[in-house]
Amino acid sequence: MRWLFSFLVLALLGAVQALSSSGSRLLVVLEELAEKDKYSEFWDDLRGRSYTLSFESPKNDKLSIFKHGERAYDHLILFPPKTKGLGPSLTPKLLLEFLKKDGNVLLTLSADHPTPSAIVSLLLELDIHLPTDRNALVIDHFNYDTVSAGEKHDVLLVPAPKALRADVKNYFEVDGTIAVPRAVGQGLGNTTPHLAPILRAGSSAYSYNPKDEAEIVEDPFAVGEQLSLVSAMQARNSARFTVVGSVEMLQNEWFDAKIGAVGSKEQTTTANRAFAAKVSEWTFKETGVLKVGRLQHYLNEGKKNVNESAVGVPEHNPGIYRIKTDVSYTIEISEYTSTHLSPFVPPTADDVQLEFSMLSPFHRLSLTPLAQTANSTIFGTSFVLPDQHGIFNFRVNYKRPFLTSVDEKRQVTVRHFAHDEWPRSWNISAAWVWIGGIWVTVAGWIAFVALWLYSEGVEKGVKKTQ
Amino acid sequence: MATSPVDPLLKQLTGPNTRSLLRVIILLTIAAAAVSSRLFSVIRFESIIHEFDPWFNFRATKYLVQNGFYSFWDWFDDRTWHPLGRVTGGTLYPGLMVTSGIIYHVLRFLTFPVDIRNICVLLAPGFSGLTAFATYLLTNEMVTSPSAGLLAAAFMGITPGYISRSVAGSYDNEAIAIFLLVFTFFLWIKAVKLGSVFWGALTALFYGYMVSAWGGYVFITNLLPLHAFVLICMGRYSPRLYVSYTSWYALGTLASMQIPFVGFLPIRSSEHMSALGVFGLLQIVGFVEFVRNQLPSRQFQTLLRALVLVIFAVSFGGLVLLTVSGVIAPWTGRFYSLWDTGYAKIHIPIIASVSEHQPTAWPAFFFDLSMMIWLFPAGVYMCFRKLTDEQVFIVIYAVLASYFAGVMVRLMLTLTPIVCVASAIAFSQILDTYMSIDSPTPEVQANGTPASASVAAASAMLPDGLRSTRNPIVGIYSYTSKLTVVAASTVYLMLFVMHCTWVTSNAYSSPSVVLASRLPDGSQHIIDDYREAYYWLRQNTPENAKIMSWWDYGYQIGGMADRPTLVDNNTWNNTHIATVGKAMSSREEVSYPIMRQHEVDYVLVVFGGLLGYSGDDINKFLWMVRIAEGIWPDEVKERNFFTARGEYRVDDEATPTMKNSLMYKMSYYNYNALFPAGQAQDRVRNTRLPAEGPQLTTIEEAFTSENWIIRIYKVKDLDNFGRDHGSAVAFDKGNKKKRAHKRKGARTLRVE
Amino acid sequence: MRWLLLLTASLLPFTAIAAKKAPKDRYQDFRTKSLSSTPLKLDDASYTKLTQAPRDYAVVVLLTALETRFGCVLCREFQPEWELLAKSWTNGDKKGESRVFFGTLDFAEGRNTFQSLQLQTAPVILMFNPTTGANAKVDAQPSRFDFTAGPQSAESIHAWVSRHLPEGPKPAVSRPINYFKIVSVTTAILGLITLVTVTAPYIVPLLQNRNLWAAFSLIAVLLFTSGHMFNHIRKVPYVSGDGKGGISYFAGGFSNQFGMETQIIAAIYGVLSFATISLALKVPRISDPKAQSLAVFLWSGVIFGMYSFLMSVFRMKNGGYPFFLPPF
Repeated sequence: MRWLFSFLVLALLGAVQALSSSGSRLLVVLEELAEKDKYSEFWDDLRGRSYTLSFESPKNDKLSIFKHGERAYDHLILFPPKTKGLGPSLTPKLLLEFLKKDGNVLLTLSADHPTPSAIVSLLLELDIHLPTDRNALVIDHFNYDTVSAGEKHDVLLVPAPKALRADVKNYFEVDGTIAVPRAVGQGLGNTTPHLAPILRAGSSAYSYNPKDEAEIVEDPFAVGEQLSLVSAMQARNSARFTVVGSVEMLQNEWFDAKIGAVGSKEQTTTANRAFAAKVSEWTFKETGVLKVGRLQHYLNEGKKNVNESAVGVPEHNPGIYRIKTDVSYTIEISEYTSTHLSPFVPPTADDVQLEFSMLSPFHRLSLTPLAQTANSTIFGTSFVLPDQHGIFNFRVNYKRPFLTSVDEKRQVTVRHFAHDEWPRSWNISAAWVWIGGIWVTVAGWIAFVALWLYSEGVEKGVKKTQ
Repeated sequence: MATSPVDPLLKQLTGPNTRSLLRVIILLTIAAAAVSSRLFSVIRFESIIHEFDPWFNFRATKYLVQNGFYSFWDWFDDRTWHPLGRVTGGTLYPGLMVTSGIIYHVLRFLTFPVDIRNICVLLAPGFSGLTAFATYLLTNEMVTSPSAGLLAAAFMGITPGYISRSVAGSYDNEAIAIFLLVFTFFLWIKAVKLGSVFWGALTALFYGYMVSAWGGYVFITNLLPLHAFVLICMGRYSPRLYVSYTSWYALGTLASMQIPFVGFLPIRSSEHMSALGVFGLLQIVGFVEFVRNQLPSRQFQTLLRALVLVIFAVSFGGLVLLTVSGVIAPWTGRFYSLWDTGYAKIHIPIIASVSEHQPTAWPAFFFDLSMMIWLFPAGVYMCFRKLTDEQVFIVIYAVLASYFAGVMVRLMLTLTPIVCVASAIAFSQILDTYMSIDSPTPEVQANGTPASASVAAASAMLPDGLRSTRNPIVGIYSYTSKLTVVAASTVYLMLFVMHCTWVTSNAYSSPSVVLASRLPDGSQHIIDDYREAYYWLRQNTPENAKIMSWWDYGYQIGGMADRPTLVDNNTWNNTHIATVGKAMSSREEVSYPIMRQHEVDYVLVVFGGLLGYSGDDINKFLWMVRIAEGIWPDEVKERNFFTARGEYRVDDEATPTMKNSLMYKMSYYNYNALFPAGQAQDRVRNTRLPAEGPQLTTIEEAFTSENWIIRIYKVKDLDNFGRDHGSAVAFDKGNKKKRAHKRKGARTLRVE
Repeated sequence: MRWLLLLTASLLPFTAIAAKKAPKDRYQDFRTKSLSSTPLKLDDASYTKLTQAPRDYAVVVLLTALETRFGCVLCREFQPEWELLAKSWTNGDKKGESRVFFGTLDFAEGRNTFQSLQLQTAPVILMFNPTTGANAKVDAQPSRFDFTAGPQSAESIHAWVSRHLPEGPKPAVSRPINYFKIVSVTTAILGLITLVTVTAPYIVPLLQNRNLWAAFSLIAVLLFTSGHMFNHIRKVPYVSGDGKGGISYFAGGFSNQFGMETQIIAAIYGVLSFATISLALKVPRISDPKAQSLAVFLWSGVIFGMYSFLMSVFRMKNGGYPFFLPPF
């Protein structure tokens, strides 16, 4: 079964011909194609990961990201336009539509030209905020690149990102420091759970517009860690949308630029190339993709259930249970990493949880990894159904930053005791009194009738009946 | 001589065969008439199940036929009352379904492959024929005149009061319950008369059947003890009474406790306590009678009488005490509202909201009973002539049932049989008197020896008769007077038949599933929106799509659309209904979480504004509000749906609460697109609607039936990008979001 | 502990507004007043004084119109319940831990208040939660109770008040035991028993009189079948005038009726059934042929006429009814 499954997945991958789990057609939108050579190494990386790139200019009016109502491309890289906006074929509405249809978007910003309002409003819809004045960029007077930005302090040196939280995997681990030149800082709204910063600015950074030579900045747009240089949005359908604050960090010159940190003499090369690779991998769903394999729940009583063995047994998910029975639940989750499916191991301090709920959860249990196959982990647990009949849901709702969301819901009916499932009366010791009473009455009645018939004369009895 | 009680019997002895043959033929024709007069609906429309409850019974019957009796008994229905489900097997009266199931299997056994639907549709008419026969038997027990029974059967067969619940297609419990009611009473009378355990056991048997068929069995449970009690009070205690009552009570209680829905009610709830009390009383009285016969000393008997009273009082007090302490359940709301008529309106809006629980105005009585309504008192009066035990029963039944029928429209059903019996007694009395050929000769009457003899006999028989029966019967002299009365009665009878037919065809034979309307040219036009919408649901929604609607339509959705519903006509869970009421009567922002929590996929509303169909949800809306207010008095307030001048309006003056309520929005969404601008007209409320209609954000229109009677909306999923629906819709409309950080106050920082 | 809390609660206003008359002693003197007589009888001045912010106590005010000239039946019905509630609450916490005042503002004293609140209807209950102190509510708007559901009992108002109050003692409504009623009932019962025992020889034949029972049950049947219960439940008017100054005895429409209408109908039924009884029982017992045939014609005529009149009345109620009998 498991083998078959993995074969199937592999065959699928072969068909798609890409490392991405969701297709290889990648569209790059940038205004003048002359610029594309500046990013050639980036393209090579992508081509190396077997994407088929196609470059289009937003001015091209034949450009369309949809064809016959379906996506014409799987992924999108948007370069910052120098003019007003991205044109009629890339309006915010269309881009959201693209995301709704599971397309992934990598949006790059640059502080050289003011960000067009279309993009600003698009980001606003996703609750990502840009500085009010369009020319603002991120300045840090403490960790800047001494080589390139000696006095302007607008090339930030940021260490490789750490894991966001203890219970979140880190997909952007690179060694070395990342140079972020002339970035547009983004502020992330903290209401939506879909947003997560990938690369934060240093604690001493702030957003500032060099055009107006103000001595002091009062009420900057955002400061310090609140400024996100590269931020990620993952929609409910786990379509991914990444904002890269500075397009320049993808250019060849910055891929292997020599940089010097403040206070240190020796010069190092940037880790931009690796970081760009990581970011694009994540954005185009090469990493952090969860797949749910076999999911089953079954009555855990009576005979030993055979479904745990991996041999091809048909899935056995009864639609109806009885209250207060012991039920087992297993779910098979595997994580896709750029070439293959591997067993998913949740980060330490995190659990995959199962809810058994009607209106509100009656059980919320953390699933324990029972077994591991070549490319998946089998989580499972078993519990006793509550003493409440109704229509319940087995629900695994596992949504974490940087991981595609897992929301598996199985509806089952939990019925009451049937008339013949109660203990028989003679098994209840308290009922013996009553049973005895019944039989005593019956015996007494029979004895009485016998006595009556014996004692009464026949013809008298006949008279009575008349 | 003309009609003395023994006269027909003598005649009967001469030609019994012809008479009985005639009687059988007459009864058969009556049954045929009864059945055929209930077929209007099938002829007009089609063989279809009617109204609301029948749809559930039909569904349950199908389940029974498919899955067998035991799985029906243990049926847990997971397609109603989502997500609570309903323990259906234990909370219904299975008699109806089991009956039609048995019929189905018998026909199968006889190799008649009849569709179960046709059995269900035609069950009620079939049983109405049996009811006529049972009425015949009952009446024959009451009076000696044989014509009374036939008349009563004929009355029972065609009286609208009974047809209203038993036309073809109204597949409801009453369909068989009325037959069982009448037949049980017949058996009871028989038992009291003969004092035989056999008939008492038969009574118990059919009583058990009745319990399994209809909640109205409580009427029998209280009427028979009352009869016994009155007889005891009249000093008419007899071993016959003792035997029949005790055998009925013991066996009948056991039988009724076999129904899961009834269970231990017969010994736990107040409705059944009278039967128990009379049972105990009978034991005491029987004991006293026994002792009295043994020792005739005067004082001892007074002592015993005192003893009886004391014991009775003590046990009564004990019952009251148990009721107060809660061991015995107090009167359930429905029954309590029969006595304290104001009770339901204040405490149980869900009962008060049902139209058939309203009191009865006098036209309804005349409408359902026509001429019998004034023959009825006469018949009751005649029962007082020689007040035998069974005639006492008639009197009690008459008074009680007319009270109940006055309080609740639907209880007209229990009144109808006794009306038929009583008026048949009265009418047959007249006919017997005036249709006897031979008339007395005055001179024989003059010296009047036989007359005086009969007087003596009468006065010997009844120490105190009615004033009107003091004088001896002499008969009618002139043929003209006979002819007048007979002709008049014939006219009345024909009028009665015409009335019944007219009422049946006009009032009682439309299945409220399919509406009929007359076009200007008088031709009939069928409005079939309900089925159109239900079949749309059946065809276009997933198998498990949860439908939210007001509870009136739950059974129909379950039956016709075969989709899970949140609430339905079996209103066992007031809170759940109130939840739906709250969702309907609140703002979208409040309703949406409720609908999400209950996994609602579609919302169905009934809107009559276009067609002028007055039974729509906006007119029922206040009940939803009231029921919701009963549970959430702070969140839903009925007052906010009335304007400052206390009017209930839907036009421009409607209160904001009304305009923002989900029900209002769903009813009038896009409605004014049908009309030229500003001309939108509601033909039920007869008002002009606001110029711009309501906007919906969390749900979207999925289906609207031909005449807009039913509108179905789909509940949107959460927004893909975590926005609230309002702003998502605003964005799709193309107006920009304003810069978010214009908001005042300290900026909230991200912690991660 | 609670005292400490109260102290802080009542001290807060000091710090808040030193200028205003501190609500603490306002609370105290109202407290003394209420201990003497509750609910407090208010007028415009004391109403504003009692309900002005800041308060560290809750106020429940009944705005009513007791005087007969306003003809507010509901007010007068509710007044004893209201006083019962207030008294039992005040006696319930002698130490005043719930810090609730009950006040009554009659329209006679409080016209300006009624106008300022734009009240068209009475009675109305307003509830002011404390604005300062431990359990203050943010919104200063008083929550309002309208008697839309008809007359209320003290318990229901108690439930409403305690729903709006923050946690704290909520003394239950204690109805005083009505000794007078008990005594009177017992005496009545005993008197009845003695009466029965004394007059038994005269009553028993009366009880056993068949005519009496017949009359009783016939009257009951006629009453019920003529829709008396409908009048009783729906409280329909006895008669109502038509537009032209006359009286309309019959209400239009199938499902509504007047009190007098039902009596007329009952009378018709009575006459009809009496005629039937006479035809069936009395007439065959008349020994004189002439009288008998006369009686037959008389009663048949009565039945015929009455029935046709009844049908005409029914046609009036139910438009489409096609059948009729000649005279009417």
